[in-house]
Amino acid sequence: MNSRFKHTDPIVVSMGPHHPSMHGVLRLVVVPQGENVIDCKPILGYLHRGMEKIAENRTIVQYLPYVTRWDYLATMFTEAVTVNAPEKLANIQIPERASYIRIIMLELSRVASHLLWLGPFLADIGAQTPFFYIFREREMIYDLFEAATGMRMMHNYFRIGGVAADLPYGWVDKCLDFCQYCLPKIYEYERLITRNPIFLKRVKGVGFISRQEAINWGLSGPCLRASGVQWDLRKIDHYECYDKIDWQIKWQTEGDSLARYLVRIDEMKESINIIQQALKLLPGGPYENLEGRRIAQEKGRMNWNSFNYQFVGKKSSPTVKLPRQEHYVRVEAPKGELGVFLIGDDSVFPWRFKIRPPGFANLQILPQLLKGMKLADIMTILGSIDIIMGEVDR
Amino acid sequence: MNTVDKATFNPDMQGRISAWLTKHKFSHRPLGYDYRGVEILQVKSDEWLSIAVALYAYGFNYLRLQCAYDAAPGGSLISVYHLTQMRDQPDQPEEICAKVFVSRTNPQIPSVYWVWKSADFQERESYDMLGITYWGHPYLRRILMPESWIGWPLRKDYVVPNFYELQDAY
Repeated sequence: MNSRFKHTDPIVVSMGPHHPSMHGVLRLVVVPQGENVIDCKPILGYLHRGMEKIAENRTIVQYLPYVTRWDYLATMFTEAVTVNAPEKLANIQIPERASYIRIIMLELSRVASHLLWLGPFLADIGAQTPFFYIFREREMIYDLFEAATGMRMMHNYFRIGGVAADLPYGWVDKCLDFCQYCLPKIYEYERLITRNPIFLKRVKGVGFISRQEAINWGLSGPCLRASGVQWDLRKIDHYECYDKIDWQIKWQTEGDSLARYLVRIDEMKESINIIQQALKLLPGGPYENLEGRRIAQEKGRMNWNSFNYQFVGKKSSPTVKLPRQEHYVRVEAPKGELGVFLIGDDSVFPWRFKIRPPGFANLQILPQLLKGMKLADIMTILGSIDIIMGEVDR
Repeated sequence: MNTVDKATFNPDMQGRISAWLTKHKFSHRPLGYDYRGVEILQVKSDEWLSIAVALYAYGFNYLRLQCAYDAAPGGSLISVYHLTQMRDQPDQPEEICAKVFVSRTNPQIPSVYWVWKSADFQERESYDMLGITYWGHPYLRRILMPESWIGWPLRKDYVVPNFYELQDAY
């Protein structure tokens, strides 16, 4: 080609913290040569808020509004893991109805998160239309959440011992209507996107991760399942009531961006299936445990007319004292394995609250995936890994 | 204060993997089980790399979590590694937790990046937040805090600079 240009120094481009798509504030320092990417270095920390340090000075109930700000697109999972950690540590059982409500909320959140992954992923590739379509479904999920929890996005709904409030009257029917409406829409997305030749050319064979590499790099979630590993924490850890519902793990073997896309679309369909089954199986009963437990424990000391028996409004959840133990709980968030390593300190504040975000572990593989790819593939690969900087930086 | 250090060797607390490591003459100290029943091992910093390779050979191919904490303000720093055996469709796979205790004044641990690559960002974060230096890590720089930050934020004796609101200081 042009022999004059052979010995120039490579240019270093900083794809700076702001992006038009909704990945968040991620700075990628890319060294391209022509159209090929030689090296890439992600620089994190633009959204670091010191969540772990703050957690050491808050009780769990005080900390719950913070946790929805980690992964702000799938907020129920962050709350679920924050509440699961002290529950398992202090051996608190939750009632069945609360468990089913949690499953329904978690799966709705998963559908919402995958929808909001789909929009920006395709917008990065160049297809602007699905970006508007997904918000249609997501608005309906927001409405369901607002009816049950009071907030569209940052719910603060889960409590130690159950959920904060029961589902309002008619919510179950509305949710079933939503499931029946949403499933044909997901098929419509598939008809629009999956066999589109332009999409396939951009996405097939791009960003291949082999099975060994995926395990070694510590990936989790759809990135891992797209590389052929059938690893889903909902089946492995047997948490909540997932065992009572009939569903399958969705996985692919190719390991490229198309496989990751297919895994997420299949997971959306499977989530709708889980929601429908859970709604039918929803039992009656209490939605929260700790208040009843506290009354039962103080039975001898309370009078009939005293404050404790009167309903003068929702009394706040009692504070749980964390015993001096440690453990690591995890949930299958839509982005991967979200885990919390909690060390209790025999007081209401935890000693160490380490958050293991799925985006943080999944982002590590990005430099290796980008070596040798074209500049246009950067956004495809970054989108298919599905990170969100709120949890990467905490 | 939180120390899981036990001075005497209790044979009841030795689990399967600890027994396997003892059989192959790897020096470590079993620390019992955590609340979910996951075995905990304490490993010295010099021997950590050989035990890491041994655990990888045993079958622990997935480093789930690498974090660090300090036992007490002024006490030792602890680097924690949670490992799992990852297979297809397993049921309750084996897990283990390895802890490396280092002193606060000179925290040096060999990096296990070359065994499990998922330690890359996580060890950088432990370095950034608590100051534990990992030998052999390809790019040990601050990851979440700005590069020019001084101090290790997550240590219990960390003083936040320029912080004057006394009513918010816990």
